[in-house]
Amino acid sequence: MNNATDVRSNGSRAAGNGGSGSAADALAGAGTPDSRGAGMRRILDRETRSSRAGVSGIAAVLVIILCGYGLLEAAVRAIGQPPWLIDPQTAAERIIALPQGMPPLLLGVIGAVTAMAGLFFLLNAVLPGRRARHLLPDPRAGVVVDDEVIASALARRARLAANVTQEQVMVIVSQRQVTVNVRPTSGVPVSENAVLAAVLDELREMAPEPMPEVSVNVATSGVIGA
Amino acid sequence: MNNTPRTLNRILIGILGLKLLFIGLLLVLLATVPAVAPWWHQWSAGVWNGMSQLFRRTTVPGRGESWLWAVIALLLAVVIALMVAWVAQQGKGRSGLIVAEDDAGGFPGNVRIGAGVAEQALRAALAERQDLAGATVATYEIRGEPALKIRLQPRHGVPPHLLAADVSALVEALDAVVGKRIPVLIHIGVGARSRFSRAERVR
Repeated sequence: MNNATDVRSNGSRAAGNGGSGSAADALAGAGTPDSRGAGMRRILDRETRSSRAGVSGIAAVLVIILCGYGLLEAAVRAIGQPPWLIDPQTAAERIIALPQGMPPLLLGVIGAVTAMAGLFFLLNAVLPGRRARHLLPDPRAGVVVDDEVIASALARRARLAANVTQEQVMVIVSQRQVTVNVRPTSGVPVSENAVLAAVLDELREMAPEPMPEVSVNVATSGVIGA
Repeated sequence: MNNTPRTLNRILIGILGLKLLFIGLLLVLLATVPAVAPWWHQWSAGVWNGMSQLFRRTTVPGRGESWLWAVIALLLAVVIALMVAWVAQQGKGRSGLIVAEDDAGGFPGNVRIGAGVAEQALRAALAERQDLAGATVATYEIRGEPALKIRLQPRHGVPPHLLAADVSALVEALDAVVGKRIPVLIHIGVGARSRFSRAERVR
């Protein structure tokens, strides 16, 4: 198996370096999702969106704590024991009398914090929750790439094209936009077009979906001694 | 990839969010707008009156307490149990088999291939790559069908499409060994190990 694997691996690396040919092949493969298994579209849809598992855990713990306290007081009351923290009767009377018996500032702050928590949960439920990820075409497997990985690959390419060090290039990748910021070495001009062409070339080989647009900013002030 | 109940998550989080938002806004209004206070006194006192009458009508004959308290305690316990069940649903869906089918021709019995075969083979093939800071392989069950998730953590600057092509070739080699094509997801991401590791200079 190892032997066969190595041969295949080398072959595909060569094709990958060939550029447009491999991208076209891969795109043709992506056009027929059956080649990657029936549920692949659904898997990819789920992979690019947040599952809200973490927020669900927080919400569940919150509800469990509140219900746990209520359960304690209700059970204590049911068996006729004295209350633990506050008697339900007293609690209800205090809540009814609410603007009195409490500093308005404290009440307002408690209300604001509760409303903010509610808004956080509500927005988490309603917003699409898209993750910072792109899809890559592949004939066999579904490929999901974090935007940070794309950014670091593009930064490497831009760094080589601009002939600067790693610290002088910063790439920001979002869903539909790639921003390349280059700070040239002082006295050594950087060709904006060369950087743009290199990044575009790398993106064309990568063919992420959705395809972002590229903008290159070359800073006017240079870095000394880089 | 896993079978986290996403729609349920959204619905339950949304309900909780709406309730908290409503309560919070009510408290803020009580604290800031004086005109809300009389309305609140009237409305909440009415509700509490109804409830206390209900409690008085449902007292246990021998004692002074209402049996409604026991019912409330039971309901709260049920809610807590449901919350625990909800949390337990998150991230479920790992599977132990990549192939489980009857393709033995005329012979009785099934063919089963454990998930460890694919996971170990791919992990061993990926372990010697210098451009990876880490790789994990896991098997999930998607709607009754096994599927493979390969998570890669490349070092800085590794082109993801070349990495994906290489790993996809590995997967095709695995197909030839196993004799069945199962859905495969390759996730190329960053983890703590690749974030703090040095950049790969030569590839």
